[in-house]
Amino acid sequence: MIAHRTQIPNGPIQPGFTNEQLVTLLSERFGLTRDASDHWDLTLVCQAEQLRDVVKYLRDEPTLSFAMLLDVVGVDYLAYPGHRSERFAVLYPMKSLVFRHRLVLKVMVDEDACVVPSLFELYKSAEWAERETWDQYGIIFAGHPNLKRLLNHHEFVGHPLRKDYPCQKRQKLSMNDPMIDQLEARLRSLGYTILERGEASVGQAITRPSAVPSALPTAGGKP
Amino acid sequence: MTYQNVPAPVAPEINLGDSFVTTRVDAVVNWGRRNSLWPFPFGTACCAIEFMGIVSSVFDVSRFGAELVRFSPRQADLLIIAGTVTYKQAPVLRRIYEQMCEPRWVISAGACASSGGFYDCYCTVPGIDEIIPVDIYIAGCPPRPEAFLESIVQLQKKIDKESLVEQRTVGI
Repeated sequence: MIAHRTQIPNGPIQPGFTNEQLVTLLSERFGLTRDASDHWDLTLVCQAEQLRDVVKYLRDEPTLSFAMLLDVVGVDYLAYPGHRSERFAVLYPMKSLVFRHRLVLKVMVDEDACVVPSLFELYKSAEWAERETWDQYGIIFAGHPNLKRLLNHHEFVGHPLRKDYPCQKRQKLSMNDPMIDQLEARLRSLGYTILERGEASVGQAITRPSAVPSALPTAGGKP
Repeated sequence: MTYQNVPAPVAPEINLGDSFVTTRVDAVVNWGRRNSLWPFPFGTACCAIEFMGIVSSVFDVSRFGAELVRFSPRQADLLIIAGTVTYKQAPVLRRIYEQMCEPRWVISAGACASSGGFYDCYCTVPGIDEIIPVDIYIAGCPPRPEAFLESIVQLQKKIDKESLVEQRTVGI
């Protein structure tokens, strides 16, 4: 069982860092750069390899304490005007409950490998958010414990929010997913033991990525 | 007065007066079906709010005999689909329809249920008639309560044209 750190703010909200201070701090420590196209929240571009270190630092450093991962957002830049780098991006909007600062981390994702590290071990909220992003964009989150579809039905083929998905293509569902795996996990957490499985839980074709790597593939061959 | 002096009645029914009427089976069955529709609301979106409007006192669907809302398909004979239906929901809707006893009727309320509405996308069913048969479609996004009531009147007219005798003999 993974222990998730919970942080409940007590006392008034404190001012925290300004955007400029955050940029200075994180560019000195991790070499993050500000995204030129951010309009609203401060967006910092981060490499996939360093994502976990950066997020762990943002969460655990007392002067930052980004206790809340608001969402995991996929972006498909296919045919986006003027875009020249990797096709996909994953955005991680984060918020501090103690201070008044917010931050968005942006990781560019290559189309061929299409994999980023999972933040499941750091934030419980990442579990469903990453499942949704995989469902809609096909971006694999390495280390995710149960990367299956969240919004689309389990017989769905493809990833509908990709720009090259034909958006008017309809895919019918013949039978609902009884979600036995979720039910069993819940029962196990309550102390039950599964002795026997009925017909409904056998032979369920649940779409998942063919293999979810436990960690990012490294370029230099290091584990 | 002796027994022989009483004239025999020409038709014995004449003594019964107004205590019975004659009719056809279809007419009396349809009268009962038409005026006591029990709706099951499959409300998934804002059209269901309009349905609440017609059931409550201002528009009062009980004037048409369809006020007894049942939340079990086994007790209902009118399925009202009020709202958007996605492909993920489609097997649920199909199963609810199959659980209803015959005779059963379906009203598709509003643009989304009838045609998918403006959800021209990968996840929305473009009209629930892909999944179950529909008797009456109501236009509108959402439909006015008057349109809802009109659909019930239209359905009553449709029920009047049905024939129990034909259904039982022909086996429809």
